[in-house]
Amino acid sequence: MKKITVLVAAVLLGQGSAFAQVSYERLVNAAKEPANWLTYAGDYTSQRYTRLDQINTQNVYQLKPAWVYQLRAAGTFETSPLVVDGVMYITEPPSTVTALDVRTGRPLWTWTPRIPDDVIVIGSPPVNRGVAVLGDMVYAGSIAGHLAALDAKSGALRWDVAVDDNKLGYYLTLAPLAIDGKIIVGVSGAENGIRGFVDAYDAKTGKRLWRRHTIPAPGEPGNETWGGKDSWKNGGGSTWLTGSYDPELKTLYWQTGNPGPDWNDDNRPGDNLYTCSVLALNPDDGTIKWHFQFTPHDTHDWDANESLVLFDADVRGRPRKLLAQANRNGFYYVLDRATGEFVAGKDFVKQTWADGLDPKGRPRAKEGLEPNAEGILVYPSIQGAANWHSPSYSPKTHLFYQGAVEMGTIFYKGEAVYNPRIGFTGGGGRTLNTDDSWSAVRALEATTGDLKWEFKLLSAGRTSLLSTAGGLVFGGTEEGNFFALDAETGKPLWNTQLGGSVRGIPTSFAVDGKQYVAIAAGFALFVYGLP
Amino acid sequence: MQITKRLLCAGVMVVTFSFVVARAGAQNDADVDAGRRLFQGMCTECHGAGGTGGDAPSLNRPRLNHAADRTALANVIANGIPNTAMPRIRRFSESELEQLVAYVRSLGETTPERVPGDAKKGATIYKNQACSACHVVAGEGGNLGPELTEIGFLRGATYLRAAVIAPESSLPRGTLSVLSRGYAEYMPVRVVTNQGKEISGIRVNEDAFTIQVRDAAGTFYSLRKSDLNVLDKQAGKSVMPSFASRLSAPELTDLVAYLVSLRGTEP
Repeated sequence: MKKITVLVAAVLLGQGSAFAQVSYERLVNAAKEPANWLTYAGDYTSQRYTRLDQINTQNVYQLKPAWVYQLRAAGTFETSPLVVDGVMYITEPPSTVTALDVRTGRPLWTWTPRIPDDVIVIGSPPVNRGVAVLGDMVYAGSIAGHLAALDAKSGALRWDVAVDDNKLGYYLTLAPLAIDGKIIVGVSGAENGIRGFVDAYDAKTGKRLWRRHTIPAPGEPGNETWGGKDSWKNGGGSTWLTGSYDPELKTLYWQTGNPGPDWNDDNRPGDNLYTCSVLALNPDDGTIKWHFQFTPHDTHDWDANESLVLFDADVRGRPRKLLAQANRNGFYYVLDRATGEFVAGKDFVKQTWADGLDPKGRPRAKEGLEPNAEGILVYPSIQGAANWHSPSYSPKTHLFYQGAVEMGTIFYKGEAVYNPRIGFTGGGGRTLNTDDSWSAVRALEATTGDLKWEFKLLSAGRTSLLSTAGGLVFGGTEEGNFFALDAETGKPLWNTQLGGSVRGIPTSFAVDGKQYVAIAAGFALFVYGLP
Repeated sequence: MQITKRLLCAGVMVVTFSFVVARAGAQNDADVDAGRRLFQGMCTECHGAGGTGGDAPSLNRPRLNHAADRTALANVIANGIPNTAMPRIRRFSESELEQLVAYVRSLGETTPERVPGDAKKGATIYKNQACSACHVVAGEGGNLGPELTEIGFLRGATYLRAAVIAPESSLPRGTLSVLSRGYAEYMPVRVVTNQGKEISGIRVNEDAFTIQVRDAAGTFYSLRKSDLNVLDKQAGKSVMPSFASRLSAPELTDLVAYLVSLRGTEP
């Protein structure tokens, strides 16, 4: 059977590319086949680092477009392309999956789920950030709240499940994570009053294997942090960005978002576990091994859904398995990923809400900065110092690269009446979007968060980053620049103008022995390579 | 919604409306209030509290680019805006849609003001002071400063008086579509190139690596930041001179009356 599959794929592509099964072992060893880009962030560590070094600091100035793919229907384009054995898989807004010939950009198939007219999407634009592959299937979530499995070669639907009810505000924008026989997803919807969870599905059948709610029910540890009220039922804690995985520790790491209602905390006194946290989960049954809460009792919409980067390093002479996150609340955190122990942390942008972190990593939150009816100015902004845009870690430089947003917001508190159809937010914010707001690519010493260098960008945009073995960091700007920096110094080495905001997430791959970099900007996907 | 003076300086154009404008009475206050609740739940994440802008544009302006009137606004909500992040939202009942439209429209409503002064005399002063060297009215004039064809529709007398006396106190915002995310418009810049050439003018556009500048003569310069020795962006300043000492108090009043009378072709 496998022989036939390979043959058919080779004939279809005409160039000898052969779609092999993407086994779990290939995903575990994704770093060893850098010509492909097999998971959302490249591999399970979420380092978004390529071991390809053909494009380097000496020749990057020669980069030229190889091909461009235009969206079939315009929208906010935030995809992180996968590349598997000659085929690129992208998602188009809101929830379309398209396979492209990676040599030419010509579409091979496309699949669009049914999205009801009255779909509920609050808290983000109707976007999709990518797919997962496992075996001979491609997995994608939709804003209708479904998870679909498609035949990787034809796009035919193999199975489709409703993850949860979109009428209650559940929807999916994230790239699923494929592990051994399982597809792991999280949900968006904290602005609709959902109760967040992480789900595992049988990759072959779509049967749900387990669900881990991020808000404990009465009787479960952590429920006491909701003030003994019913607020936990609509407490948010969404799980809207792809988690990370350590196959050796057999631990899944998943990030959680803000408590709901976002800006009105009247009915949720307490820390509101496990919102704004990282959960270390047993992939077999979803039980919690440990948790760490970044922002207890958040009132500023500072989701902790930012990517969790796994790396190993010596800390004070001792080798540690670490997990790092540049959090939306303005702090960079390093945890021991075996135990959840806080290792280091410090602010990486201007923040006005906390007097640093205590020895256990809990913020020393200042009094009186909660949203109120008149509005109160707090840094970082409602969109956060970091957000969905991907950081990158280079094992070569040992630096953590982050698109850091320097912006404040006037936070307002309003009424909060539960109604998923029209949102459950309890206020809002007004960002200081002026020439006083800006962003930067910052290179942090990964084990400490100390700033090594920064490259300033013009506006408070969100730049996803890719670091490379060629000594480069790629990123984009709100104003449409796509650029490469020297990974050691931050010196700009190359840039071009793509004509639309760069909302895509860069990935790299190789075809016929040549390295390319892919980035979505405006309403198109661009692929660049050396001449 | 209370907005302090500090916020005004921080930069959203609209605030001045509240000084001069009574909300048009046609709208049912209950509708507006119900619409406000809908807006708070569904729209503030992108459009900011009170429609003051965020990731998505501010809505507290008398004229919305994609929604010139109530029907167009309802259409935008129901169908979204192609090629933007504005999604279509079809889960409203008809009355909810009306309420939301009523609220959004209330954010930027202005009514013609009764102001002292003689607009006809003001028109003469406008001509004699050569304002048209830098501003367009009804197709006539220069382009260093903002077009004024419908400035009386967009701004109130208090704002306009301040703009004439101390232009830097009331810089234009939200009038151009090329500068993203609330950036200062018509910002004065001075650059010196690596070759020693000095250029002063206004910023037309900018990104992380380049800046586009137009000088007083209307000459356009495309500049790479890596080719510049000096890039002095004069935020909070204006290239427009103050007319406080050039005009008498009655002349100033007449000029403001003329500006207030410029309402273009209202929708």
